[in-house]
Amino acid sequence: MAGYVPEIQQAVLPGGLRFLGVEYDRVPWVSITFMAKRGSEADPPGKAGVADCAAEMLTLGTGKRSQLELATDIEARGASLSSRSGWDATIVGLEGLAEDFPELMATLAEIVQTPAFPAEEFPLLQERRRAELAHLLDDPREVANRRFTRLFFGDAPYGHPPTGDLETLKNIGLTDLQDFYRREFTPADSTLVVVGMSSFARMTEEAGKAWQGWQGGGPASAPYTRAPERLCSPGLYLLDRPDLTQSEIRLGHLGLPRSHPDYFALRLVNYILGEGGFSSRLMSRIRSDLGCTYGIRSTFHFRRAPGPFVISTFTPAAQTALVVKEIKAVVQEVKEAGVTEQELAEAQSYYVGHFPLGLETARQIGSRVVSMDLYDLGWDYLQQYRQRIQEVTPDAAREAARKHLQPDSLTALVVGPAALCAKDLEALGPVEIIAQN
Amino acid sequence: MTLTRKLDPAAWQPEIEIVSYRLDNGLQLFVLPDARVPMVSLQLHYHVGSRYELQGITGISHLFEHLMFRGSETLGPEEFSRILQAKGGEINAFTTRDHTSYFENLPAEHLELGLKLEADRLANLKLNEENFQTELQVVISERKLRSVDSPFGLLLEQLFATAYTQHPYQWPVIGWDQDLKRMGLRECLSYYRTYYHPGNLSVVIAGDVKPDAARDLVDRHLGQIPSPGAPLPLKVKEPPQRGERRAVLKKVAQVEALFAGFHIVGMDHPDIYPLALLSIILSGGKSSRFYQEFVRPGRAVEMEAEIAPPPWTSEDADLMVLTAIAAPGQPLPQLEEDLWAALARFHQDGARPEELARAKKLLRAQAARGLAQNFYRGLLVGLFHLKTGDAGRVNQLLKLYEAVTLEDLQRVAQQYLRQDNRTTVTLKPVSPEESQALGEMV
Repeated sequence: MAGYVPEIQQAVLPGGLRFLGVEYDRVPWVSITFMAKRGSEADPPGKAGVADCAAEMLTLGTGKRSQLELATDIEARGASLSSRSGWDATIVGLEGLAEDFPELMATLAEIVQTPAFPAEEFPLLQERRRAELAHLLDDPREVANRRFTRLFFGDAPYGHPPTGDLETLKNIGLTDLQDFYRREFTPADSTLVVVGMSSFARMTEEAGKAWQGWQGGGPASAPYTRAPERLCSPGLYLLDRPDLTQSEIRLGHLGLPRSHPDYFALRLVNYILGEGGFSSRLMSRIRSDLGCTYGIRSTFHFRRAPGPFVISTFTPAAQTALVVKEIKAVVQEVKEAGVTEQELAEAQSYYVGHFPLGLETARQIGSRVVSMDLYDLGWDYLQQYRQRIQEVTPDAAREAARKHLQPDSLTALVVGPAALCAKDLEALGPVEIIAQN
Repeated sequence: MTLTRKLDPAAWQPEIEIVSYRLDNGLQLFVLPDARVPMVSLQLHYHVGSRYELQGITGISHLFEHLMFRGSETLGPEEFSRILQAKGGEINAFTTRDHTSYFENLPAEHLELGLKLEADRLANLKLNEENFQTELQVVISERKLRSVDSPFGLLLEQLFATAYTQHPYQWPVIGWDQDLKRMGLRECLSYYRTYYHPGNLSVVIAGDVKPDAARDLVDRHLGQIPSPGAPLPLKVKEPPQRGERRAVLKKVAQVEALFAGFHIVGMDHPDIYPLALLSIILSGGKSSRFYQEFVRPGRAVEMEAEIAPPPWTSEDADLMVLTAIAAPGQPLPQLEEDLWAALARFHQDGARPEELARAKKLLRAQAARGLAQNFYRGLLVGLFHLKTGDAGRVNQLLKLYEAVTLEDLQRVAQQYLRQDNRTTVTLKPVSPEESQALGEMV
């Protein structure tokens, strides 16, 4: 084992919270992460955004300190606090100089254990979010990402942006945030991770001091693990934005859960298809050969339940239909003909060679450890990672492409000026015009 | 070194070890050895950016950065990236107003391959009309993404075009649309011959490498490429602004916004340090003045006073940019009035000692965090060398911030954040129909 692969040590704190620590000696930094293993998928129906609002609310005052006192004390140490909800987890992170480790640990514990949910902060939080969400409508990429999520998953738990939207924000009250916190923040379904310039013994001691009395709430809601029964029908959808000069394009179908045994094979196939920058087929075809875009990427969002597989790009509006057609052809080609042995070997050596670059900073290591814990990847995951990549055979890659790429099931969303692209799109098939929300 | 000492924050040394060499052909090399991760960051900084362009060929530096990936005598388009990526490399490039930088973060054992391919594209770049045209279309799409369709891209372009009347910082790095459309391969090749040679190049290698071995490798691959010598320095200065300038841009938008630019200094000027601290006091973090006064109560989506801190500050005098994005329903004129009132209070009273201490600690923390990455260490050294001629200054950085006093802060606020030195561009939202009636957005 090379010396730069971090060793993850673990302990269970007196209150039952799992604690994971990594000694990090590169710079005097410490990154502390608290994770509750439920996220925006646990937002109540019609109240998209509850988990993320609850996460922010934790930072707006505790039993001891106001929002201003918290912000001032944290920033006076040059540290930074972030608290947000994503898919499958809600994460409160505090990082700063290692010299301040005890204070940072105590502050994070105070925020997670004793939030005051001050009533006067809630209308301000809503006002800020209303403004941010309105402003997002000016960014075509955000509009496309958010609209695709809703279109594709509908009412399913992954069917809304974690920050919610203008409609659902109105339905959320302060008690919804308190309920989420009381239900989902419990030692039984949470983990504390520290990566920093400190010995594990000292980390455990500080963590023990700060967390031993924490009972939390619970029981947490049942983890969401199954694919929704109904999804959007495949086809072409157009959101007309006459003010834009380019179209934002998203094509996707249902992907796999993180626990799927084909994970490594499919990561490699997807690198070749659309994640490997200039080494990818989509970039080669759509950018290098056709000059139709500055960037294109495909991503399998591996989550606890099957997440989406999404291809994202943009192009001057008149070329929209051409790009949609070419993307489908490339996906079809990879599904049918698979990938070459050379492509696979290059994708493998990319991931193996690149591996240490993802382990330079405390935050990078922290987020690796968090996802190992969240998805039960095994404590030897980092040690085994390169081998798992190298073990994928050309046959396994071909099989993964054949099984998991579904060019005929793609849902395609175009956000762009209909006057410049609708007619050509109709030549590809029926186009359904959809509204912003 | 024992484990305990390695894990003792007090024993940590922030200094970057810099070993510098100059090759016979004028190439400047900096090696930053650090063996803790078996990787290197190889960086080639060419001292050419949009400030070296002329009206009519704006955007050529950035377009050329794209063309450097389009093949050589022996490699096809994008093969450069494919080969190095297949070794685990992270390959990219970026163009700024002052320099064009290419980098490969890759396993240390492949450093020589990286150098060989960089030398190949420097000496044997091969471009034909077809791949020139393809890449031009890519850049036109990039311009639409970054400027035309982005919420504030055109507004920022308007700000710089209004604030600078004589200095080439007035045009955007990506270039004006009509210049991109008229530019030809011939102009690009002539640009290449003027600026792409070892005499205009600084190489940085940061990571798991021995300095002398790195020097030998660089000499082997880049040492034989001839150079006509460094291009003549372009000395150009924006005259002092004598009164506020204002402009309005109308486009489809959900929110009203305002961007105000104040002429400040370039990276070599000592005032950049108090200015960086001032921007943190005004808007860095949730305890900052602007956040508490404007963002927290929901009056503004964003209220920022930004400068690009070293090493990102431009070489010549930059702008400090104040961004005010009004929340829907909040009148922009009132927000603007309150913003200037907040600045006036600072002129009058200056900062409190605890505000200065907080800003200094924040910069110290950011420095410590950044130094974990070879890529960032390399950029610090390369860009300080390029823009100030003094790579060693990176190791003085924390002391330079530490030396800033409360008086310095008040002085720079009064000196630079003045109405006469200000250019203000506002975004006025219009309907799609009104927008169309105003003509094409390019």
